[in-house]
Amino acid sequence: MPRPPASGGNGKKGPLVSVLLPTFNRRRHLPEALASAVHQTYEHLEIFVIRDGGEEVDDIVQSFHDPRVVFINRKDNRGKPFSLNEALRRAQGKYVAYLDDDDIYYPHHAETLVGALETGTDCPVAYSDLYKVWCDVSPDGGRQVLSKHVEISRDFDRFLMLYFNHVLHVSLMHRRDLLDKTGPYNEQLNILIDWDITRRLAFFCDFQHVPAVTGEFYSPVGESDRISFQRRKDPQEYLRNILAIRTTLPPKPWPKIDDLSIILVADRLSEQLADTLLHIWRHTFYPYKVYIPLPPGDLTRLNVQMPSVELVPVNPSSTAAERIDAAMRSAEGQYVAIVPADLRIEEMWVENALYALIHDTAREGFLLEGGSPFSPAAVLRRADLEQARRAHPQMSFEASLAASGISLREPKEEELPFQFDELLRQAKLAEAEGNWRMAARLYQHMGERFGNGVWMKSMAARACFEAGDHAGADRLSREVNGERPTVDTLLLEAKVCREGQDFAAAIRLLTQAEQWLGPQAGAAAYGKRNLCST
Amino acid sequence: MLDVINRANNFGIETRMDTPRTNEIDTHKRTQHYEVLRELGDCYTSVGNYGQAQRCYEKAASLGPDEPGPYVGLGVTALQTDKLDDAEIAFRVACRLDPQCAKAYAGLAMVAQQRRDFPQALDLYLKSLELDTDSITALLGLFQVSCEMGSFAKVIYYLEVYLQMHPGDTAVMFALAALYRKDGRLETSKTMLLSLLALDPANRDAANLLEEVEHAMVEARQAR
Repeated sequence: MPRPPASGGNGKKGPLVSVLLPTFNRRRHLPEALASAVHQTYEHLEIFVIRDGGEEVDDIVQSFHDPRVVFINRKDNRGKPFSLNEALRRAQGKYVAYLDDDDIYYPHHAETLVGALETGTDCPVAYSDLYKVWCDVSPDGGRQVLSKHVEISRDFDRFLMLYFNHVLHVSLMHRRDLLDKTGPYNEQLNILIDWDITRRLAFFCDFQHVPAVTGEFYSPVGESDRISFQRRKDPQEYLRNILAIRTTLPPKPWPKIDDLSIILVADRLSEQLADTLLHIWRHTFYPYKVYIPLPPGDLTRLNVQMPSVELVPVNPSSTAAERIDAAMRSAEGQYVAIVPADLRIEEMWVENALYALIHDTAREGFLLEGGSPFSPAAVLRRADLEQARRAHPQMSFEASLAASGISLREPKEEELPFQFDELLRQAKLAEAEGNWRMAARLYQHMGERFGNGVWMKSMAARACFEAGDHAGADRLSREVNGERPTVDTLLLEAKVCREGQDFAAAIRLLTQAEQWLGPQAGAAAYGKRNLCST
Repeated sequence: MLDVINRANNFGIETRMDTPRTNEIDTHKRTQHYEVLRELGDCYTSVGNYGQAQRCYEKAASLGPDEPGPYVGLGVTALQTDKLDDAEIAFRVACRLDPQCAKAYAGLAMVAQQRRDFPQALDLYLKSLELDTDSITALLGLFQVSCEMGSFAKVIYYLEVYLQMHPGDTAVMFALAALYRKDGRLETSKTMLLSLLALDPANRDAANLLEEVEHAMVEARQAR
């Protein structure tokens, strides 16, 4: 747990943090959200409230009488990315934090993250955990809390970040100058806006995960009123946004990502080649650029308006190896995938082998699934392939590799990516089948093998309890509660105490849990004292 | 012309990404706040703090209006504070919410017992035991009511069933032995007491009862 910074209170000696709070038609919840930003223990803030059209909120903003609040009052609705960019153009903070108009920070949110960024590692990005609050919403908009769960408390995983987001935007704080590298928020997107920026940030730096709960976001039971949720229901729109995010690459250099050049090898232009190209576009999440070496006549007949595609003119009589060589002269990626035009492209088609290659130290390449002896498909280090081609330019692609001592093999099971996620899926399946003992074992194994320790311990504690292993549940929930207590783990430990007739301890734990479940009370109860005690 | 972009429209829909499904949350997520309050109510009841227990059960009832648990809790707190009418209302609500709620019937039986309406209490304890033969509260209540009414056949049956499921429960073994003695089944009573004393040789009540049973057996033989 990072130490809080020495300043940032009334002395305003800590770095300035710009908090961005866009709002659209949520007068009911905005006061609570804004109050949670204003009442931070870390006070050196500038808080931008950006009215993105909709209901007027100037009375709410003015009622705070706080000079740190900057109000951008715009009548027309331009969307969240536009609002964020608008505020970022005026922001002066060393760091940027985000808050939605229906969510809240706990009082130590900024203090925790500034502490991590200033005194932790050299990561310029940090994020914490949030409660997801399930609630019933009354007709007047009031929220009755049903539960508060930390659904995700995941350590930073760059490969996963390229695939999908695991950092909640409200929990994020980063250095403002990073946006000079990533570029601004993409105003063409209307969902997954947060993933777009965190994905681009991952090209430049690591993220520091602070496993402390520093706020909450609300999820009404039944139909969500979240705009992003409503828009996700349109699958075409969802796909459009995902593809836009994946194919939008920030300017180089990328200190944390080595990119991939995909060389699509074909004799001639065909329907199959066009389909393969589309499948690559649809199924590839690792940053890439496709190179298509074809005779000029074929290239003029190919209308490719997709991003990240480069057409490479070659002699019509050139061999496959010569076409690869031609594409290699243009290719920039540190990794190269050689892909026959008839290769079947599916989910993880290149990432499985690429992940194995990234984590492999031997001088070898990895075969892509679906290749054949006559048209091998593989991913290699660019340097290895270049060396092989230079040494044996007259040979075929695969023969030149063999002659250079570069072997090709399939990745082993343990070399594939997302093993944690696969085990998580199995553990959830075991839970669903009532096999709690198996689920507990899996969670404990995952915590030991893959990190995410507090999260896995919490899951294991619950699984142990359900499996009847109350001693295990007791031990694990005590460990979690000593480090990062949540309502779930307090409840679990209390149940075990009650079974052991220790009613005083059970009452103490349950009273704490009840306070955290109350409106606002959770924020107060989860304040500075608790943070320091960890 | 091969128009790659236009072809994209023919693609299937991407569905593998995990979109939120708010209607599919599990029961655990719906009931966490309710669960905390009900547990807290039970703990306060256990330590005799009925005022706090009542507060917790009332809040739990508002969060889980279809759950009988908080009403059973409210009934128990009312019973403990001699508010028999309130207790009866709470237990009846619990029964209405869940007609299979053994605890609610046991609670109603306790209300009837306190009102000295033993036939009604007997029926309600029996109903509770039909739903949950494992309920020690109902068993002990049935035992007490049977003693009051001098009718032991039904309680003996339920205690025997209970003992089959909990063969080492010496308290129930003792109660059964006493009932056998009252019912004139001296040999059965003696066997039960010997089993009990094998498990708990220091049990003075059992030893005393055994002495009494053996004395009665001698008297019975002499009378023949």
